[in-house]
Parts: sequence; structure tokens; C-alpha cells
Amino acid sequence: MGRDGTLLDDYILSLLAGDRPRVCFLPTASGDADHYIVRFYRRFAPHCDASHVSLFRRDQGTGGVEDDLAGHLLSQQLIYVGGGNVLSMLGAWRAHGLDEVLRAAWRGGIVLCGPSAGSLCWFAQALSAFHGAPRPVAGLGLLPYSNCVHYDAEPARRAEYHRAVREGMCGGYAADDGVALHFRGTRLQRVVSSRAHAGAYRVTVEQGRIRERRLPVAFLGVTAPSHAREPVSAEAREAGGGDSLKPAAAALVAA
Amino acid sequence: MSTRPEVREDARLIFAMGGGGFTMEPANPLLDDFVLSLTRAPEPRILFLPTASGDTAGQINAFKSRFSHRTCVAKHLSLFRLAQTDRPLEEIVFDQDIIYVGGGSMRNLLAIWRAHGLDRLLVRAWETGAVLAGLSAGAMCWFQAGVTRSSGAPEPMEGLGLLEGSLTVHADGEPERLPVWLAGLRSGAIPGGWALDDGVGLLFRGAQMERAVSSRPGAEAQRVDAIAGELVRRRLQPELLLSDGPNTVLGGRDEAVEELRRVHRLQRNMGRRRG
Repeated sequence: MGRDGTLLDDYILSLLAGDRPRVCFLPTASGDADHYIVRFYRRFAPHCDASHVSLFRRDQGTGGVEDDLAGHLLSQQLIYVGGGNVLSMLGAWRAHGLDEVLRAAWRGGIVLCGPSAGSLCWFAQALSAFHGAPRPVAGLGLLPYSNCVHYDAEPARRAEYHRAVREGMCGGYAADDGVALHFRGTRLQRVVSSRAHAGAYRVTVEQGRIRERRLPVAFLGVTAPSHAREPVSAEAREAGGGDSLKPAAAALVAA
Repeated sequence: MSTRPEVREDARLIFAMGGGGFTMEPANPLLDDFVLSLTRAPEPRILFLPTASGDTAGQINAFKSRFSHRTCVAKHLSLFRLAQTDRPLEEIVFDQDIIYVGGGSMRNLLAIWRAHGLDRLLVRAWETGAVLAGLSAGAMCWFQAGVTRSSGAPEPMEGLGLLEGSLTVHADGEPERLPVWLAGLRSGAIPGGWALDDGVGLLFRGAQMERAVSSRPGAEAQRVDAIAGELVRRRLQPELLLSDGPNTVLGGRDEAVEELRRVHRLQRNMGRRRG
């Protein structure tokens, strides 16, 4: 949904079957910010059966889905989780039972995606920088790795991620802004990017030392739209990510 | 945790509003001025927590326009927007004289606080002498129980339990909460407590309800308990706050503080005119 996120959004949509796929937006991590919801509809409503679920202001009517949130989410083809604060989002999700709903959605073959906090949440652990030194936080754990986003956006981020992994956070994947990791099941299938030269990395610790391996990245600006439309089966669990909160937010295709 | 010393129980203050203050009464500052009067600090540091609303710009702007011209240091803490500061939450929370919690979803408020460990920090802030204030969800959260519309229909919800009993809010503005509250009291699911109209605030000193005040003529409060299965209601008559009175609860006005506030106001007004 960002300036250069269109390519990533198109990539995600290419994973979905049908002319008007059912896509639901979860803006929880932004506190259900109005401007973000508007941007989602602007971007997705022309091509999709688009809806959103708000967890705030439900007493006033949110314009989003009100009743049977679980039933609505489980009938989607894509659940798009917006960026913002991952801890606040996970707390609110748990309070409304959405953590379990999203696990069920993933098991049922619904594509899950999101940038920034919408990427971190799918992993076992994530590096979250918020009020003080970045620290590991527990995500939903669909993907048994750690995740670090905005890897190139702040000079200290890479060193902080390395330190966290060295100090016991599980190994995982780091993504620069504009890069999306596409998982099928728990296996990384492809890394795509809306920005030339942006990178993604597998970071592990071996014999007490950090090993960082650069992953091959397909730049969608050149190679698009070569990705074929493929049907999503229950076995083929996937997730995509789009660049959204800021023009250069690190996007992550996950799940 | 904080190295600030604990204060005696009778120095721990909570001000719980059924509705009102800057988000609901932009033209009526009586309750907010009362909040400022609850601390002895000459220039109180007041921190607004808009968590229950999802940190809406509307609430944050209303807070700024109410407090930025008053004699205080007004800041807000967002748990959604990316950090404006590297300061740890603990340091921010323990550096306040007043913590003011806005309305919205009580369910989200408590869940998000817990996710950040902020619930424990706020309890500690209260124990070490910071005044806790709030309206609606930001008032019910301090009690054992409240009645929330976080999922649409009103339902009972457990709070942090710093104050004994239950609280239900907007008794006049959203009367649909009352039957749910009364049914909970009757069945024993909710402990006895208070129902507050918009514009009414209760001041608690330690565990004791000390004073009921109001920003609007005619606004009411009631205490309801279930005794042997019967509901016993008692009406409280809140004191109407005065716009130019000292409204102080600190036992007589402090001339030095009043003088300092007058000087600050004057300086700020002159500064604005020059600017």
C-alpha cells in the first residue's frame, strides 16, 4: 500500500484465485488508524472483495465487520495485517481471541501477509524496537524462526539483531525495506522485492558465531509480472506481505 | 522497578470519572482543573494514556489543547505509534505527578497494557504517589470490575482491582450499561459499586471514596450493593465544581503555588502575544 508497495501488493494478489478475491484488513497494530483503513480500501477495493476488522470503537460501529469476526476471517482468501506496534497488536488480538482465529486461518490455507508488525507477528520471535533497546518478543509462532524488519533502515538494527540471536533468540530471517519473504508452510519459497538491490538474509548462530547469508531476491520491477497465478490449496499455506505503513517499511511475505 | 519510595495509603489518589474532561467536554475544564489540583507539584507533570482509543489523534489533540496552556508539563504516551523517544516505559511512567487515562475499549486497554507490562508500572506509580485519573474505560480499569462495550454489547469485565468494588460509567449517556451492571450485582458476578453520570468524578484516597464532584448541574452518582439478594441503592449528591474556586483537596490553598501558577500563566500569555 506504500509508494513502492504496489508491486508487492500485486505479487500477493497473484497468489489468489478468482476475479475478486476476498481480502480482509486487520489494522490493529496502528490502533485501527482511519487513514490506514482508507488507504487499504483505495488500494484493494477496485480488485477485491475488501473488508476490514476493527478491534477499537466497536461500540460506535466501525464500518468494519461487527459480528462473528472468526467466521468472517475464516472465509477470506487473504488476511492483510497492517504495520504498527507488534506488542500492542498481539495483546489486543489475544483479548479478542484473534490469535487462535489466525492460526486456524493459516492451517485452513488462507494467505496471511503484512509489513513490519504484520510480518513479525507470524514468527516464533521478533526483534521489536519500541521504547528502549530493541528486544525479542514472542510472536504467534507459525514460523519457527525469528524475524527482523527494516534491516537496512537504521544503522544499528543489524548489530542489534545479531546480538539478540547470539544471546539466544532463535535464528531467522532479516529483510530490508521493500523486501518480502514468501513462505509455503514453514519453508521459505521465494524472496521478492519492490526495490532494486534490497536484500534479505538468513541469520543463524554457528559455534557461537553469527552467520549471515544473503538470500537471492527477485526484483519485481524487472521480472514482474512473471509470477503465474497459482491456486491455493489447504496444503499450500502461504502468506504475502506488502509495504504499507511508511513508503519504505520492510515488508514481509510470511506464513 | 522504581526506586521511588512508597507513600502512605492515604496519599494514594485515584480520580475516576463517569465521563467528561477534555475528550467529552471541550468547553468545560472543571474536571481537568480538579485533576491538576490533586497534586502539590507547582508545575505538575501529567501523562496522558490514549491506549483505550487506539491512540487516536482526536484524543491526543484534545489533551494538548486542554493542557498545553495550563501550568503543567503535559505529555502523552502512545503504544501504537512508533516510539518518539528511546526512554524506557518505566522511566516515563515513574517521572509523572499525574497519569490520565482516556476512554475507549476497556478490553483492549488492559490487554495492551499487560502486553507492555504497563499495568504493573501503573500500580507502582500509584503506590509511589502519582495521581491516577481517567474517564470511562480509563476509570473502570482501576476497580475490581466494570461494564464495557468493547465488543459492542455491554458486558461485565474484570479490572486491575486497585479499588474495591465495581464502577459503571455514562449512566445517563449510555443507560444500556445499567441493566447489565445491576444483573451482575444481583447474581453476585460483580461486587457492589458505583454508577456515575457523565460529568461526575469520584476521588479515592487509598481505598476510601472521599468525595464526589461534578462539572454539570444535575449530574448524579449512586452506590448500589446487593444485600441478601436485594439491591440497595444510595444516591450521592456530587459537589458542583466552581469555575474560579480553588477546588483544592489538599487542605487549604497553598498561596505560594497559586502565586507561581499566576506568574507562569502571565508569562505564557505574554509569550504568546509576542510570538
